[in-house]
Amino acid sequence: MAAIDAPAAARAPREVNRQARTAWCLASPALALMFLILLVPVVVAGVLSFTNYSLGNSGFDWVGFENYDRLFSRSTYEKMFVATFTYVAVVVPISVALGLGAALLVNSLGRIGDVYKTIYFLPVMATLLAMAIVWEFMLHPTIGVINQTLELSCGTFLEVVPFLANGCADGFPLWLGDRDYAIWVLCFIGIWQGFGFNMVLYLAGLTAVHRELYHAAEVDGAKSAWERFRLVTWPALGPTTVFVVTISCIRAFQVFDTVEAFWPQGGGPNKSTYVMMFAIFEKGVQQNLIGIGSAITMLFLVFVMFLTLIQRWLVERKVHY
Amino acid sequence: MTRDIWKHLILVIGAIIVLAPFYMMLSYSFKSPGEIDRGVGGFFGAQEMMVDPRCVKLRDPNRDEIAAAAPQYPGKSDSEIRAVIMAQAEIDCSMRPVVFNYSKAFIEAPLLRYLLNGVIVTVSIFFVQVLVALPAAYALAKLKFWGREAVFGLVLFCLLIPVHAIALPLYIMLAKVGLTNTYAALVVPWTISVFGIFLMRQFFMTVPDDLIDAARMDGMTEFAIVWRVMLPTAIPALLAFAIFSIVAHWNDYFWPRIVVTGSRELFTPPLGLREFKGDADGSFFGPMMATATIIVTPLIVAFLVAQRRFIEGITLSGMK
Repeated sequence: MAAIDAPAAARAPREVNRQARTAWCLASPALALMFLILLVPVVVAGVLSFTNYSLGNSGFDWVGFENYDRLFSRSTYEKMFVATFTYVAVVVPISVALGLGAALLVNSLGRIGDVYKTIYFLPVMATLLAMAIVWEFMLHPTIGVINQTLELSCGTFLEVVPFLANGCADGFPLWLGDRDYAIWVLCFIGIWQGFGFNMVLYLAGLTAVHRELYHAAEVDGAKSAWERFRLVTWPALGPTTVFVVTISCIRAFQVFDTVEAFWPQGGGPNKSTYVMMFAIFEKGVQQNLIGIGSAITMLFLVFVMFLTLIQRWLVERKVHY
Repeated sequence: MTRDIWKHLILVIGAIIVLAPFYMMLSYSFKSPGEIDRGVGGFFGAQEMMVDPRCVKLRDPNRDEIAAAAPQYPGKSDSEIRAVIMAQAEIDCSMRPVVFNYSKAFIEAPLLRYLLNGVIVTVSIFFVQVLVALPAAYALAKLKFWGREAVFGLVLFCLLIPVHAIALPLYIMLAKVGLTNTYAALVVPWTISVFGIFLMRQFFMTVPDDLIDAARMDGMTEFAIVWRVMLPTAIPALLAFAIFSIVAHWNDYFWPRIVVTGSRELFTPPLGLREFKGDADGSFFGPMMATATIIVTPLIVAFLVAQRRFIEGITLSGMK
């Protein structure tokens, strides 16, 4: 190597220069697209959120914080925040807990468990819009299979359950058309679709937990399964949990397909499922109110970036409890 | 052992809930409208011959057609001739429900076109992503240049921005340059995958420098090194990324919904299904479920065949 090193050192400055130029050449398409497709739009949204611009108009007026004012004063947008945060606050913890639970059960069963893994992962792969339409059929108030199944319980001992008794007397819920149920049904489908993804991430995390740790814990007196979980598994899964929670949050914030499929107009009964992505679509694209749409976009970006930054901060602190 | 039974019990209940919509989708796609309405017929339905009312209606003869057919039926009145023709039409238009549902899926809407569009869009997105990300990842991983840290910092920052979140400004920009309702609009926002750059950079970091130095000794240009040395070593990572990218864009509904309006020519599979739903009346549940089945099937089958790869690819974002 020494023989090669001498001439290499001699032509080093030119070589370094050449390499730098090639490097910039290789990176430039990516850099250009990064600016054009990711950074410029953020700036554009930021600027437009202070205007009353709409597509097709030649000019626009600056309106200052009016758009943001509206977001925080109108009841429509209050419902938007309530719907979005309800969805995130319900879907994230439940889908993370179910994902963890499923992963622990599947993991403890060994090879047979793989069958469940495959099944639980199916909704992650399936086109959500298609599955949303299937759910809509199943939840149809009269011909849907869910209410038809519930009706089977009428006249049997199962009627002691108040929910079933009420349903048999006054008809079962309209589900998607009922303002008391709509958001919960939406959450249910979000969980149905997403928990398999979390399970797979947890399964990957579990393979990294060392067996010796369990033995050590047993020696130290951790007898019950719960003790072993609390003392070994859960702390070892810390980094996975941080990641799973963050990615679930970001995915939950972006819910759109199901809302648009169920309620193409207006975001559900009494706007109870008027989530942010749908609001951006409805205001910005369908109604051409770009200013208000951009303001929602900016808020959305702030939420998502905030979440990711928290995650990175936690990871850097090396979450090992 | 008894503990395992409890575990199975819980997991089986979960599996039933997870599989229920898939079961119903398939089942509806086999059944006749009547069976769907009444909720009878088990999984496959009775598969009794049914008559397609639309098809019969189309064959209802008008005055001229009856006049034209008259020589074939000497001595019969017009209404008798019509009855004969309609009886023939009913025979021609009767079919098994499963055939009715799946043929309607392709006839009522240009489903083949939608599927083709889906393939075109997902494949072009993936190729452009690789074309853009791979050289950049190589430069960031293996070349020393002034500003490298800044570029990598930018990549890390851009990872914070989900493309769906900035859909509105992107849509405005595309509308301003007149690109809405084109294939370009469906592909352009996804051409840059910062995640792809990040992933490939991490992978290239593990490739030994000697390999690259040897290639340089052989007189290969840096450009050639990217495609002839780095690309082959990166095949496993690229495969995982391909699955990640293709699944995401085949299933994407939000972005196509924004930039494609009106023209069916450009519809991707989810958009096509959505439109089908929009103008479906009750009797079209079956064909619609057939459409849904056709759209969902390719990825599910691919997943069942190559499970481990798929799970790896989809959970890529979980790798550090």
